[in-house]
Amino acid sequence: MDVTAQIEDYAVPAGCLDELLDEDGAPRPHAASLVAALLRLGPDALHAAGRRRDAIFMQQGITFQVAGSDGARRDRPFPLDLIPRVLTATEWTVIKRGLAQRIRALNAFVDDVYHAHEIVRAGIVPWSLIVSRPSFARPVHGVRAPGGVYCHVCGCDLVRGGDGIWRVLEDNVRTPSGISYVLENRLAMTRLVPELFSGHRIRPVDHYPTLLLEALRAVAPAADSQPTVVLWTPGPANSAYFEHIFLAREMGIELVEASDLVVRDAACYMRTTAGLQRVHTIYRRLDDDFIDPLEFRPDSLLGVPGLVRAYRAGTVAIANAIGTGVADDKAIYHYVPEMIRFYLDEEPILENVPTYLLSDGKQRRMVLSRLGELVVKPTSESGGKGVFIGPHASVAELEAQARLIEATPERFIAQELVHLSTVPTETGDGRLAPRHVDLRPFAVFGDEIRIVPGGLTRVALKEGSMIVNSSQGGGSKDTWVLDEGEGVDLAPGTLPARRPPRLPDVRYGGWHGQAQQQQQ
Amino acid sequence: MLARIAQELFWLGRDLTRAEHTARMLDGAFHADVAGLPGERGIALSWPGVLAVIGAKAPAPGEDAAEAPELVPWNLGRAEIAPLLTLDTDSPASVVSCISRARERGRTMRDVISTEMWEALNSFYLALGRYDLEAALATGPYSVYQEVKERCALFWGLLERTMLRDEARSFLEAGGRIEDADMVLRMLRVAVPSESIEMEAGHEAEAIGLLQAVGGFQAYRRWVRQVPDLLRVVRFLLYEGNYPGSVASSLAALQQALETADAAPRSSPPVLRLSRLIADLELQRRSPEAGGMLGEMLGRVQDELELIDHDIDERYFAIAALAAVHL
Repeated sequence: MDVTAQIEDYAVPAGCLDELLDEDGAPRPHAASLVAALLRLGPDALHAAGRRRDAIFMQQGITFQVAGSDGARRDRPFPLDLIPRVLTATEWTVIKRGLAQRIRALNAFVDDVYHAHEIVRAGIVPWSLIVSRPSFARPVHGVRAPGGVYCHVCGCDLVRGGDGIWRVLEDNVRTPSGISYVLENRLAMTRLVPELFSGHRIRPVDHYPTLLLEALRAVAPAADSQPTVVLWTPGPANSAYFEHIFLAREMGIELVEASDLVVRDAACYMRTTAGLQRVHTIYRRLDDDFIDPLEFRPDSLLGVPGLVRAYRAGTVAIANAIGTGVADDKAIYHYVPEMIRFYLDEEPILENVPTYLLSDGKQRRMVLSRLGELVVKPTSESGGKGVFIGPHASVAELEAQARLIEATPERFIAQELVHLSTVPTETGDGRLAPRHVDLRPFAVFGDEIRIVPGGLTRVALKEGSMIVNSSQGGGSKDTWVLDEGEGVDLAPGTLPARRPPRLPDVRYGGWHGQAQQQQQ
Repeated sequence: MLARIAQELFWLGRDLTRAEHTARMLDGAFHADVAGLPGERGIALSWPGVLAVIGAKAPAPGEDAAEAPELVPWNLGRAEIAPLLTLDTDSPASVVSCISRARERGRTMRDVISTEMWEALNSFYLALGRYDLEAALATGPYSVYQEVKERCALFWGLLERTMLRDEARSFLEAGGRIEDADMVLRMLRVAVPSESIEMEAGHEAEAIGLLQAVGGFQAYRRWVRQVPDLLRVVRFLLYEGNYPGSVASSLAALQQALETADAAPRSSPPVLRLSRLIADLELQRRSPEAGGMLGEMLGRVQDELELIDHDIDERYFAIAALAAVHL
């Protein structure tokens, strides 16, 4: 196959921005050497690397389960696309600052919701809207989390429209997942296509577990010795179990299930071979609803009875704190830019996607008249459930959605459709085609907010599709943040290269060489 | 470490070792079958004999007790028993079932065992799925069993090379070694007739078969240097501390693993009981014995081993089981 054929019939969808190639099909300056490396590699080598990737992922068990046509669940290798996505240092600086700002505001909002209600009294967010959120957690009213940190782990979904501006599509301050794929993707890329890395300086991502563990230790209540941190998983049947076990392994902490934890006298313990052992910080990966049958859903079998009592007593830190879900609700999303102005007295660095509240009569009428162009989302769902995309809907679906909105306007929000940017993606035969992507960077909030360079790029593998969820045919890409060019924080090369010491007593060849010398 | 995880590790070790011993035993039985070794008196490696070794096993947690094969009439042969114990996914005792259980356990403990061990376990499982096992079993079972043996060895070798010497490793090893001792004892008990063994009355073919079924033929040849008759072989497999597959070696390794795992081994019931059993075996080894005592002796050792297993469960894992009952 001709190598240049790879990008010859590369057609970017109208209204979208391609991040690697410009309008004329020439590589953008920061991606020039990557495109050159891709062309050198050629479609056949790329295809072969893809097959190697699937074999390795199967063997390492980096898989997710899908139901086959006969209903049986099978392991499929996680779909990593081998063409990386490249962000420049300048772009990343904007994203990083914007996210840190946003997370500070969200954290302040959670604290405010469960204490002083200042933002309500200032007339910015209505109290009735806050308390009607399903994730509003009355049991933790008045409980201040250790260090005043509630949102220890955050992942915000960013998108880039045709104008090239980054916008926040969604916040996730409950249990965002995907970081394990960021780390595994980078490792796999260095093994499968090392050629692509040549000529780039890329910021590393593998320090995330260290950052997370530091943050979790930092918020632990006082302990006699090193605090005990555990990761709480709902169990092997959970779809993110791979990530739970990955993080537990990388941090070297215990992966516990509900049956391993027990609360005695307002303190939390785990059941070990040597009896009960005190637990100081729980990094939980299940929703509020399930964590304590005494305070939340009484039918939860995954919970630990009395955990909220221990949390109130301050003997155990829980990350993310209980009740943070109120901040990432889609109805609250609309108010985040206002929160930033209110709590931080700053202008938002990252914008929201224009959003309309349907409980407001004027906005509702406008939305109903333009329903065919907008996206409608239910407020208290996640994972792409119940999302209505106007341009892709039939007449009957449009009418059904309009009736739903008329009936319960407060259950929905409407957003402008963002034409997601595209990145070249391998289509299965070594050729490249544009596919839509989003970006989920991961932040850790302990003593301060730290953000891992890049994040998880999810890509819709189907042509034209804008749905990137892995349960619906989405894949992922390695995300590179360049550590060169404009916008680099630290000038590289400030440390002198270290030379290895000279060891005259260590001879090349060892004793064998000496024996030969003696013979001479 | 977490009691639940410790128990999972213990059973991971047991499952793997059980798969390996089953494979070795079946390999030996095939060999005896094909080579036409005299079968009337030698029940050690007859097909029903193999079933007797496996069939009486108590099910592991996660196995369904109801599914355990009932003791089948003695007239079953190779055509039924070999597939039942090798690839029948419904039979919890089959090699394939043991491996998929072990892999499932490994999958939930990827943070505890080393990554390389997990990958070895996972590719073991995937490799068994790739085979057309039925065809392989009909044409050349040797290669199937060889692969099982090699993959098990790979796992334990990687443990030796990559896993931290911590509590987790101790429980994994403890599981492997207690299963080792248990399987060898079972085989010996099936092989040794309940009436007395006459010292000189050969049983030679049976003795050789037994050695081959545990993979100790060469070691016996080099260490004992005498014609393998049944009594010598039984003594070798029971007492010989220099042979890693003997009951005495397995018990010693089990003791060491438990002493590492336990914060207070001196007051630990399983360790104490085990120490007594080891001392008892050593005493038996040194005292001349009549063949008739041997069958009885084997039974006693196995009873004692079962009590040790029970003690281990009580001391280390019961706290987790408590929560399970509570739920």
